[in-house]
Amino acid sequence: MADVLHEAPLDHPEHESTGIDNRKLGMWLFLSSEFLFFGALISNYLLYSNRAGFAGTYPSEIYDIPFTSVSSFVLLMSSLTMVLAHNALTRDDMHGTRTWLFATAALGAVFLGGQVFEFTEFIVNFDMKLTTNPAASAFFLLTGFHGTHVALGVIMLLSLWGISRRPGGLSEKHGMNLELVGLYWHFVDIIWIVIFTVVYLLSIPPA
Amino acid sequence: MTNEHHHPTPAQYWKIAVLLGVLTAIEVALYYVNLSYDLGSFNAILLIVLATLKFVIVVAFYMHLRYEKATLSRFFTGGFVLAASLYTVVLAALGVLVIRGS
Repeated sequence: MADVLHEAPLDHPEHESTGIDNRKLGMWLFLSSEFLFFGALISNYLLYSNRAGFAGTYPSEIYDIPFTSVSSFVLLMSSLTMVLAHNALTRDDMHGTRTWLFATAALGAVFLGGQVFEFTEFIVNFDMKLTTNPAASAFFLLTGFHGTHVALGVIMLLSLWGISRRPGGLSEKHGMNLELVGLYWHFVDIIWIVIFTVVYLLSIPPA
Repeated sequence: MTNEHHHPTPAQYWKIAVLLGVLTAIEVALYYVNLSYDLGSFNAILLIVLATLKFVIVVAFYMHLRYEKATLSRFFTGGFVLAASLYTVVLAALGVLVIRGS
């Protein structure tokens, strides 16, 4: 048995009873489970966002819609650059892959910078902190966890970019790594589509 | 990289991005129109429809779910429907789910 294991080729394809690559199936299942995670945070926000009777500033009173709209647009366009990186890799265009990967990471970093700016504004200029009231807690918890996901995505993108700079580091043959990071990145984008509408555009000030 | 030949071309990806940008612009415009003219629950319904459209476009074309095996669609849709149903019931039970315009 040990000999059999020893002689097994390293690139032996894994058994796939579904006909789908196990890593891809795993990623889709993970993303599917993330709906429950973000659903809980969005529900928590909806529950407390306009509940009156607490002291301090409420998030819905100080949203900067033009600023957040630009941030949303930036994140939306990062999905375009991500899919262009994937497309370039399928054509074995390594220069294009590297360029679009870096552009995606840069757009993600711009979005994160915007979030840091927004949080700083709320805390310093409006004295709305994590513990100011339940609405503020729910807001920081939801957008903070989303920002953490974006930050993880940027780290993964920069890692892929670093790997792609090595000779033979990232090729069409190993394209699954880029595809998985791409799926994660697009998911972060669709969650923000929901947050932008539910939290910002449909915000209701406390009664 | 399954079914790669079915995926959109870069030019189509750009067109989809323009569409997503336009939908976002409509959302923001609607927000300001509602501030001036109070569209009531119509505003909320329209914004939810637009967000759903953007959501579906990204999942279908950028995540390529439209071109994947049905198993993946079932898993992903199943997770979404489960979460959406659960939290809709919870929020309705807590009296939060009342659509208001502004």
